[in-house]
Amino acid sequence: MRTRMMAVFLVTLLATGMAAATPAEPQRGGSAVVAIGSDPETLNLGITTGYAVGAVAASIFSGLVWIDARGEIQPGLATSWTTSPDGLSYAFELRRGVKWHDGRVFTAQDVKFTMEQVTGLYHGRFRPAFQNFEAITVTSPQSIKITLKRPYAPLLRLLTVFDCPILPRHVYQGEDITRHSRNNDPVGTGPFKFREWVRGDRLVLERNDAYWDPVYLDRLIFRIIPGAALRVTALEVGEVDMVADFYLPKTDVDRLKRNPNVRLRLGQPIPSMGFMFINARRAPLDNPKVRRALALAINRVQIVTQAMGNLARPARGPFGDGFKWAFSPESDYNRLYPYNVERANALLDEAGLPRGAGGERPVRLRMVYDAARAPIAAAAAIIRDNLRAVGVTVDLQPMDRAVMIERIYTRPDYELTVQTFTSGGDPAIGYHRIFASAAPGVPFVNATGYSNPEVDSLLSRAAEVPERAARGKIYAQASKILAADVPTLMLFDEIGVDASRATLRGVWIGAEARDRWDAVWVQK
Amino acid sequence: MVADESVETPSASGGREFWRRFRRSRAGVVGLSLVVLLIVVALAAPLLAPRDPQTTSMTTLKPPGTHGHPLGTDNLGRDILSGVLWGTRVSLTVGVCAAATAVLLGVFIGSMAGFYGGWADAVLGRVTELFQVIPRFVLALLVVALFGSGLWKLIAVIGILSWPQAARVVRGQVMALRGAAYVDAARVLGLRNARIIFSEILPNVLAPVVVIGSLDVAGSILLEASLGFFGLGDPNLVSWGMMLNNAQAHLRQAWWMSVFPGLGISLAVLGFNLMGDGLNDAANPRLGV
Amino acid sequence: MQAVPLLLGVIVVNFLLISLAPGDPVATLLGEYPAPPEYVAQLRREFGLDRPAPMRLALYAWNVARGELGFSFAYRLPVAALVAGRLGNTFLLMVTALSLAALVGVGLGVTAARRRGSGLDTAATGISLAGYSIPDFWLSQLLVLLFAVFLGWLPAQGIRSVREEYTGLAAFLDTARHLILPAAALSFRYTALISRLTRASMLEAMSQDFILAARARGLPERLVLLQHGLRNAALPVVTVIGYNFAFVLAGSALVETVFGWPGVGRLLYDAILQRDTPVLLGVLLMVSATVVVVNLLTDLLYAALDPRVRY
Repeated sequence: MRTRMMAVFLVTLLATGMAAATPAEPQRGGSAVVAIGSDPETLNLGITTGYAVGAVAASIFSGLVWIDARGEIQPGLATSWTTSPDGLSYAFELRRGVKWHDGRVFTAQDVKFTMEQVTGLYHGRFRPAFQNFEAITVTSPQSIKITLKRPYAPLLRLLTVFDCPILPRHVYQGEDITRHSRNNDPVGTGPFKFREWVRGDRLVLERNDAYWDPVYLDRLIFRIIPGAALRVTALEVGEVDMVADFYLPKTDVDRLKRNPNVRLRLGQPIPSMGFMFINARRAPLDNPKVRRALALAINRVQIVTQAMGNLARPARGPFGDGFKWAFSPESDYNRLYPYNVERANALLDEAGLPRGAGGERPVRLRMVYDAARAPIAAAAAIIRDNLRAVGVTVDLQPMDRAVMIERIYTRPDYELTVQTFTSGGDPAIGYHRIFASAAPGVPFVNATGYSNPEVDSLLSRAAEVPERAARGKIYAQASKILAADVPTLMLFDEIGVDASRATLRGVWIGAEARDRWDAVWVQK
Repeated sequence: MVADESVETPSASGGREFWRRFRRSRAGVVGLSLVVLLIVVALAAPLLAPRDPQTTSMTTLKPPGTHGHPLGTDNLGRDILSGVLWGTRVSLTVGVCAAATAVLLGVFIGSMAGFYGGWADAVLGRVTELFQVIPRFVLALLVVALFGSGLWKLIAVIGILSWPQAARVVRGQVMALRGAAYVDAARVLGLRNARIIFSEILPNVLAPVVVIGSLDVAGSILLEASLGFFGLGDPNLVSWGMMLNNAQAHLRQAWWMSVFPGLGISLAVLGFNLMGDGLNDAANPRLGV
Repeated sequence: MQAVPLLLGVIVVNFLLISLAPGDPVATLLGEYPAPPEYVAQLRREFGLDRPAPMRLALYAWNVARGELGFSFAYRLPVAALVAGRLGNTFLLMVTALSLAALVGVGLGVTAARRRGSGLDTAATGISLAGYSIPDFWLSQLLVLLFAVFLGWLPAQGIRSVREEYTGLAAFLDTARHLILPAAALSFRYTALISRLTRASMLEAMSQDFILAARARGLPERLVLLQHGLRNAALPVVTVIGYNFAFVLAGSALVETVFGWPGVGRLLYDAILQRDTPVLLGVLLMVSATVVVVNLLTDLLYAALDPRVRY
């Protein structure tokens, strides 16, 4: 009897061991449900940078390249490319045998059309780069050449599906791109085809069998859940399989960590930063001493811990430390601006803003921010409290996004505001705009009125020079000036968190959680 | 909370009889006690609260019973008990001021319409209907979202959206009393219309107006809390609605962030509703209810 | 009919509000990055934002008369279709909630009236008091916590499960499961109101002469209650449901948002965040129109039920 049991035991052990030793094979079939926070305005990813649009359309379209989880550029619709030594010319070989969802063949003409007629005109990130294009030449149906006026180091990073998704020329040519009816049921080259859209409820995509890589999921479903807490609940009970960082409330991450059915990916290859614009057009904020006092009075660690739930690092400099090669230890905020209330008070006294009878200084600052973003509202409340401790009164003014955009960028009519910007994969794409001179009227750029020609020219050069070491030196120079002037106080470097059910495998191959759904499969 | 339009005029020995009937109403007494308690708490908040409700700290999300924080702390380390105590101020201020605005507007407009009749009455009737057809919360949401959420703006919006009910009742009463004997007598005596309205008619309208006022306070508190829940409260002040808005994101880790402010709102609304009931009982004694 | 000037008034009020408000709707639609000014100008032209206000109002009023409510900025769909699509979901929620409220409320009210002064009466009174003092968004949260998270019995949000595509009876049951919590949350307040009014109305009716007469004739108590008492109770129910319709609609906005129910209330909330003017105007208009219709129906029903009222 005992021998038999031993035998059974051993066999079972062996079997389990063998099962564990074999890596799981991707299985075809099943569906994955992704939670998003709102209906996309459109499904044409070439004319907008909206997050929800990207979440869905990134699986319908393809870019010339994609960025993997380590931040390296990988071939997409372009299988190989060469750059000329002077950095002015890029030649791409395009993938053969690619078909559009409606069966037509993909060629280089589609790429040229997209860049010249769609993304080059309408896409927020691609358009500025397109201004720098000299010419786009189709050298064969499967190859294309781009020549630039001036070198632009991050060009390849702007050729992903999020920045330049390739659209079908045969559908859009000659028509009004922005109002086109196919924008709501698009034709692309991506791993999934559009199937159904029920506004306010869900979007359904189905497998594109003609895709060049294997696609495992039968269906990819996007569930629209506006309430952040509800998205997490849905994830925990298995109603959705994935909630990406943008839609995941930081406060629930700790609890999700303890849930055995949920897996998390922390840290993100695409850095983004939170910061506070300081409107230098309004006295006394035009005085650098006052701005430095604010930098000393604000407790970035508290903001990181409480407003961001430790899913961020306190900012270390004007460009943060997300890009190691662009970080300059000389301008380390931790050294220059540690949390120090006495020094802040001293600076404010020096700046001619003495405390009155009730302990308050003759400064009243309006903090404008997006009411719908909870971590930003929390950061604003903490900043208000911090500044109260040094005698500066802050008036919180939450408002809706549209009004906020007008108050900050169009008018501008504010003193302080907390915002977050993504780097877009390179400081030149997403961070330069924080410090470069900008006139009022354009949203999502420098809104402080700070304008320093030296900084402007340094930033232009940093965008042109190709190798990182040389760029790093330029950034060090710029950081020195920016850290002394503090036109904008950088608050934190975000640590992204994406969450998915453990049954979902093959996720997060790409830097972006919204990318590469062809590699995902469901473990039954 | 539809007001009863067929209100009877209380007897001339008004005050004391009214109070006696009010005291007999259990609902009224309980309501009044709650309201008085709230007022006391609101006035004494600085003394009762262990700490400043807006000061953040690093002791976040602590449960009730933590040392120094009897009701726990929120996600920014703010004391919940202090928040609940100070929140009484905002709720009562908004509630009472908004209701007062509504009642004053309602009495003025209603008495004009009731007394003068004719086209004034017709126009006011249309305007009243218009206000009643547009859902109050939806309109308030719109206005506050569009124009901003400072304390006085909130009071103005809620007050201006609430006057129709009072106006209707007052108009009905004034119309009914317009033909009463003592009014005719006053006219014969040569009193001006305004004087008649003020000294003869309005005192008799007082009772239903007080009832409406109390119910309006309850409704205003609830409306302010609803707006706060959508994040449309004044962020520079501590309000229960905003506390619930904050609690939403932390519901599972910190039930105390939701329960205590929610209880506060419920008790405040309950108190004024009960008091309104009691006042109504006192104003219209019913048989055997 | 006086409905028409009322609706015109609604249009003017809404339009004034939104025209006076600060904020640029086009800016919200463009995502996080700076967009080309030509595109912005194009959007502005497209949505008629570069024309003077009086002209826009006149255009809008004319369009409404034709049944054309404009084009949503955010969804790129005709507003009328968008709102009409959601209206069904909201009605489903409201009708369920109000039916629940009527059933439970009348039941509670009748029981309380019959057993006046007993523990049951006090309990019923207590429930109804709680009902209209407890904020419905708070109640919604607690229900989600209890039934969806801790007990896991019911879904947390949405109108149907996404993963499986049910048809026929299964689809009906699936929707019913999703309907339970939001309808319960929405109905609470009205259950309270109805039970109170029913109780008061029953008590008043039961002490009236015709009841005494019926009893004297030897009719069983149950019959007396049902035929005479209940008939009088119907009136307050109709009053509460009919004349409070605007409130219920508004309440559903709160509940819909918490539960992610794809109805008109949630559409309104999203439209406010996105400053989607055509949708805001459309929702307000349709909601007000609905209230006007319901008020009319309530007046007729009231007249039919109350023998004392004659028009």
